[in-house]
Amino acid sequence: MVNILENKLKEKISSLIEELEIIIGYSESKAPLKVNPVFIKTKEEIDRLIFNNLCINNLATYSYYLAADTKGKIGIILKPCDVKSIIQLISEELLIKNKIKTIVIGCNGIIDYKKINKAVNYQKIISAKLDENNNNITVNTVDESFNFRLKDFFAEKCYTCNIYDNPPYYDEFIENDFKLNLEKKKEYEDIEEFEKLGLEKIYKFWEEEFNNCIRCYSCRNICPLEVCRDKCIAQLDEPHWQSQKINSSEGKFFQMIRIFHLAGRCTECGECERVCPANIELLKLMKKVNQIILKLFDYRPGLILDMKPPLLTFKNVEQNIKEEELI
Amino acid sequence: MNITNENGKSLVNDKNKKEDVKIVAFLCNWCSYAGADAAGTSRLRQPENIRIIRVPCSGRINPLFVLKAFNLGADGVLVSGCHPNDCHYSEGNFYARRRLEVLKEFLPFIGIDKRRFSYQWVSASEAQKWQKVVINFVKIIKEING
Repeated sequence: MVNILENKLKEKISSLIEELEIIIGYSESKAPLKVNPVFIKTKEEIDRLIFNNLCINNLATYSYYLAADTKGKIGIILKPCDVKSIIQLISEELLIKNKIKTIVIGCNGIIDYKKINKAVNYQKIISAKLDENNNNITVNTVDESFNFRLKDFFAEKCYTCNIYDNPPYYDEFIENDFKLNLEKKKEYEDIEEFEKLGLEKIYKFWEEEFNNCIRCYSCRNICPLEVCRDKCIAQLDEPHWQSQKINSSEGKFFQMIRIFHLAGRCTECGECERVCPANIELLKLMKKVNQIILKLFDYRPGLILDMKPPLLTFKNVEQNIKEEELI
Repeated sequence: MNITNENGKSLVNDKNKKEDVKIVAFLCNWCSYAGADAAGTSRLRQPENIRIIRVPCSGRINPLFVLKAFNLGADGVLVSGCHPNDCHYSEGNFYARRRLEVLKEFLPFIGIDKRRFSYQWVSASEAQKWQKVVINFVKIIKEING
């Protein structure tokens, strides 16, 4: 089934390559369980493209800087959930719609390799192979061989996904007959569960999590929507928001910068959490802000092309905001 | 809650914790700062725990100002600006209201009590309201500190 999809993709790309200057897609990686982004310019390179359950990367990350550096049009291969990042960028006028061709593939669900690492007790994985029917994955470590059902290893976002066969925006859509039969989870279920811990435990939890933070800025650099990079206030000298010391409170404050930069914009692609070398649960923070935004402004980022993020606009009378007076 | 500075030193004086609360207040230049000034000139008594920072407009206040204040050891943060529809720059406080409400809802998620942060609308003529706001806010913070 995957092969059919890959062939369809390659056909589509062959027909588009003339008009596009560069196409970003997925290719094989030497590392097991991972795929690499690939930048395609010529017809000969099209064979390198792949698409399978391991394509977890959100390629929208490359769009902003690539669009600024190229003269022609660029094509990006995206999953339906990744399109949300592009929509958000266009709606904020950070990307020009005509500059980008979104080639969206119906999604089979994606595998979170961190879950597999955990399932094999963090042994070194030598090779991994998806079976043809797309139901199982064989993982070989140094001593053992495991056979897992794919269903148990999908990324968290797949369990609440309802756009895998119905992307909110696309230029080209490659359909997929696959039906993602997952047990649906309630949105923000994990957040509500976490909040039951109580203030003191929550404070402790984050303090311990951010002890691990080395501020590599990976979370910022992978994020498709954080296009500030050079102007990031975390690295400015004037005003000096943050010292370059490594400790829990500085790490936490850096996340606060990210959170308020992304409030009402984050599309919950989960890339920040995926690339975090310290395995900090960053997506939890982002989800909480999105939950608040949804509650207060009834807005979901990345679904509507011509709608401003809620914090860039206002209403004279806010229905959902109840101000507490201290008198 | 134990609040520490960048070097891990506690900024809250343990001896008279109850008396020594530190509160940072961000006041907009046109309404609340003038209101607080009026409260001073008309000799309305208020607690001394408040450190006022004057900003051009409540729309100038980045939620990170508040978080930075907490990070550096403030026990409470108070933000005050013109009443909605009365902003000197006509719409600054509308933006502020949205941002600050998001911040207020978010604080419990990183383990900070929601009541430690408050945003109020105090106009230049409301010296007495300012006095009440300060007294009540300090009272709440002292209660939380225990």
